[in-house]
Amino acid sequence: MSASIAAPRFRVTQLVRWVTPTALILLFVIFAVASPTFRTPGNLLHILVNNFTLPAIVALGMTLVVSAGGIDLSVGTSADIAAMVAVTLMSLGHGLALSLAVGLGGALMVGVVDAALITVLGISPFLATLGVLFVGESVQQLATNGGTPIYLVSNFPAAGLDALAHGTALGVPAPLWIVLAAVIVVQVLLGRTPFGRHVRAIGAAPQVARYSGLPVRRATWLVYLLSALLCGVSGLLLAATVKSYVPLSGNAFLLDAIGAVFVGTTISREAKPNVLGTLIGVFLFGMLHNGLLLIGWNFYWQQVAIGLLVFAVLGASFATRRLQAAD
Amino acid sequence: MDGAIDQRLGVALATEDAEAEVPPLKRNRRGGFVRFAAIGALLIVFVVFAIAAPGFLTRGNLTNVVEQSTVLALLAFGMSIVIIGGGGDVIRGGIDLSLGANLGLCAAVFTVAVNAGLGDATATVLTFAAGASVGLVNAFAVVGLGILPLLATLAVMNICAGLELVLTQNTVLTANSPLLAYIAGATPLGFSLTDWTFLGTALLLLVVVHATPWGLRLQAVGGSVQAARSAGLRVPLYLALSYVSAGLLVALAAIVQAARLSGSSPGSGDILLSVVLTSLMSAVFSRRLLPSIGGTILSVLFIGCLINGFQLLNVSSYWVNGVQGVLILLVVAVRSVSRRSGEV
Amino acid sequence: MTEEALALRDIVKSFGATRALDGASLVVRRGTIHGLIGQNGAGKSTIIKILGGLYQLDAGRILIHGEEPRSVTPRLVEELGVHIIHQEALLVPGLTVAEALFLGNELRHGPLLAPFSMRRRAEAIVRETFGVSLSGNMLISELSAAQRQIVQITRALLNKPRVLVFDEPTAALVRREANRLFDIIRGLRDEGTSIVYISHYLEEVRDLCDVVTILRNGRDVATVDPRTTPMAEIVSLMINRDIHEMFPKQVIPCGKAALTLQSLGKAGAYEDVTFTLHAGEILGLTGLVGSGAKEVLQTAFGLTRHDRGQILIGGKPARIGSPGRAIARRLGLVPEDRRHQGVALDISVRENMTLASLRGLTRFGLIDTRRERGQVMSLIERLGIKTPGPDARLRDLSGGNQQKVVLAKWLSAKSDIYILDEPTVAIDVAAKVEIYRLLGDLVAQGAAVLILSSDLMELQGICDRVLVMYRGRIVRRLVPAETTADEILAAATGALAPLDKAA
Repeated sequence: MSASIAAPRFRVTQLVRWVTPTALILLFVIFAVASPTFRTPGNLLHILVNNFTLPAIVALGMTLVVSAGGIDLSVGTSADIAAMVAVTLMSLGHGLALSLAVGLGGALMVGVVDAALITVLGISPFLATLGVLFVGESVQQLATNGGTPIYLVSNFPAAGLDALAHGTALGVPAPLWIVLAAVIVVQVLLGRTPFGRHVRAIGAAPQVARYSGLPVRRATWLVYLLSALLCGVSGLLLAATVKSYVPLSGNAFLLDAIGAVFVGTTISREAKPNVLGTLIGVFLFGMLHNGLLLIGWNFYWQQVAIGLLVFAVLGASFATRRLQAAD
Repeated sequence: MDGAIDQRLGVALATEDAEAEVPPLKRNRRGGFVRFAAIGALLIVFVVFAIAAPGFLTRGNLTNVVEQSTVLALLAFGMSIVIIGGGGDVIRGGIDLSLGANLGLCAAVFTVAVNAGLGDATATVLTFAAGASVGLVNAFAVVGLGILPLLATLAVMNICAGLELVLTQNTVLTANSPLLAYIAGATPLGFSLTDWTFLGTALLLLVVVHATPWGLRLQAVGGSVQAARSAGLRVPLYLALSYVSAGLLVALAAIVQAARLSGSSPGSGDILLSVVLTSLMSAVFSRRLLPSIGGTILSVLFIGCLINGFQLLNVSSYWVNGVQGVLILLVVAVRSVSRRSGEV
Repeated sequence: MTEEALALRDIVKSFGATRALDGASLVVRRGTIHGLIGQNGAGKSTIIKILGGLYQLDAGRILIHGEEPRSVTPRLVEELGVHIIHQEALLVPGLTVAEALFLGNELRHGPLLAPFSMRRRAEAIVRETFGVSLSGNMLISELSAAQRQIVQITRALLNKPRVLVFDEPTAALVRREANRLFDIIRGLRDEGTSIVYISHYLEEVRDLCDVVTILRNGRDVATVDPRTTPMAEIVSLMINRDIHEMFPKQVIPCGKAALTLQSLGKAGAYEDVTFTLHAGEILGLTGLVGSGAKEVLQTAFGLTRHDRGQILIGGKPARIGSPGRAIARRLGLVPEDRRHQGVALDISVRENMTLASLRGLTRFGLIDTRRERGQVMSLIERLGIKTPGPDARLRDLSGGNQQKVVLAKWLSAKSDIYILDEPTVAIDVAAKVEIYRLLGDLVAQGAAVLILSSDLMELQGICDRVLVMYRGRIVRRLVPAETTADEILAAATGALAPLDKAA
């Protein structure tokens, strides 16, 4: 019965799903040809560790939020607060585990504020998280006398911290293990749990979610808490890498994360945020930074190139989606 | 059978009688409440500073407030026009995230052009061309390609920021030109040229957006695309024009900034979030609870007074962002709560 | 100059697999009031949207004053003097009454707006035409539905149109305003304007119109003079007889009380609503827009609260404050607005089907995809859903199959009280019959079905009992076997005086 209807028709518009992966492969080939250094295993690992890990963790949280139809502009705030709290505690002589745990707790508080503003007061996610971003900047400036970094001097529990950033397990750098864990958690949540389904339904059709009796509020809370938590992990990793807390440094993740999530939507048939797409997006950005640098483009042109690339990818996918909607 | 129904229909029609008249809905006064609360807050801040901060009320200080706020004001006007034309929904409606980066790019264009010896006239033309082109690219992306404004202008923001760095090599560039000197130095009728720019642009936009058919139609496009279309308005044209106008305002702001800083310096893009905030906050000053030029003027002055007053009172400027953040949250919370209990 | 102000000939329009218009024609002579009637889904609004340029037609011709426009766009149609007053007010909420009235044709002083003259003119015009005073300075968002309708109609009159189309203009108006509108319409006709008038209220059409065209299943079945044609004949023309034999009604003995509403009341919506839905029963509910029937359904499913009375499930009082609680009591709702409330169009058939029943499909907190897929496949089979596969996007299914997915969602959740709100609107006939058969199967297995519909043949064909609501109250309790669809329609349109309440 179900087979009697035409099999999924081939649509030109489906080509759009290949835009991002093709761009990735093309650029990879170009860089590999143009720069012998680029294609060394050492450099590829370098991209993964230095240009991929931190934004990937933040972007995974953003994937959840955007799946639920929201947006989180306070990702940098969560990362910074976690780093600020943890580094401050460590510099006061507290243990590593306690400091990291309390740091994550600080990030969670940001998520609590976001979620409360959105679900209890009914403020749109964009404005709520924008407001939190502003307040977060003030809090950091006040706590650090206007933005003075806090450095961890070497005798503090830096050994464990250093292992977090630069250690390896089974030959793989520790940060990559953390990304892997985050990927698995988000993928399983989004793809295999009732919670993930609810999130996708809320994002795709909020009214249907309500009419199907889904726990919309609870899911929204969880989404913003998880995003804040992941950003907190990212902030702690950054602090561990640079052995310090630099105020307002987390905002650098924001635009890359949003960009990666939306570029990632282009590979999904349903044009929805998805873990693989997000990872491809983050890797694309990271590879561009690294590759352009190696072929001699400076940081300035990198930014132009990334902007143009995002513009092209989004343009292609939105324009075809518009055509799709028209037929 | 059929005849019977017909008969009964006759009876029914004869007895179809006075129905209870539906009482007209009570006029929604919550918009008014929010507006008066906002203006009240502005007045309170003003009065507190006037009493507590020595020198706040002096003419020199007040013109200083205006002068410091001019660049923010011009950008916020641009943002407000984009939001008025695109609608208030932040994700699907109008928003232009490229304003801050565009400011940096335009300032760089002007400075580099002057330093290349092109002269003020050419530099000015180039600056406005750069601002307008960025606006056109945004318009093409939003209207032509149908990309969500949030994402389209995000990508354009990256491009602008990169081009600025390419032009300036991420350094502070100083520029001296007769125009910049004139803007920085001249004080016709006792006010600086920057003050006059603020005033002139504000008045011009107040008229254009709120007192011409074009402005009314722009508001209609932002309020309901369907209604605007059914009234025969060319919706894409208005949307495109809103982005281009924003680009032109950015170019003007860039020249004002170049005069203030005697050139261009990196980091202009940081102003973006303040622009978004100011423009969205303007909604509470209007009866329609939508961004407006008048509201933008008030919220720019509000934030200007806040920063200035804090300085005079020796309160750390680090509080400013936080206070702004709390303000906007307060404002939108009041708005969303009143909307929820107001309409169905 | 031709006698025909408007001629739409043999218009065909399909949406996906559904054919909304199947060769419908509408010819309006100059200077007449032309009524257009038909049941929901007959194609009235589609034909009007095609005339207005909002939809493109698949086939057919449109002539306006004997001319064929190059293309039918909202702008061009308006330039040719055709103005449409849509059912949902197309006004900008953030504008004032005066601004909304003159939008596009603003009064000016040179290049500037003339706000004060616009305001004065607006107030004067509204007072002249409707005899009500309305401040030109009020925002559209502050107006009541009736006031918005007044603004909308006044706006249309300002353009001095040659053809004016009203789509259900009185739904939001009180009697006095409606009568005033009828006077205005007659005055316009006497001045030579041609009017197309769409309404559900038959007595209005009879009083007002010179000619009436009746649409049924996307075709015009007759054009008659309403003053010489018996109302009963018009009613029977509206009703779809072709599918009469397609109702596979089986009589199931009634079981226990499943859902009971006792003296339920909600201010401004409905009053004193009492009925019991039994297991094994299909109970029909009908009424026009504003009758309160839809609100009753929403209250039963926990979407809106009631002020008075109580709800019993299985004979025991139940508090249903949210859809989640309703679903926990094994209720399921098939909403009217399928595309926004029933199904999520951009996710898969599978995810839609199990949305409300994921908790039962988990193992160690994870969704057991094998079990889920098995359940989805068996539901697809059982309901005969035509889909490329369980992972196809819902958007790619026809309306009827989408509706079956909504039903599948509740089957998967093991609901035993099904509440359906206009379940067969814009669904092709074959899919309708399948849905009827499915409902029959459900009650045969002991479920209870409450169905709100304005398709009277449907109610008559599948229901054990039908309740008719009119202006917030149940005015008739009918047994279809002893009633004709014509009688149901007469009661719902207010053409029959309410019987005593005890009925």
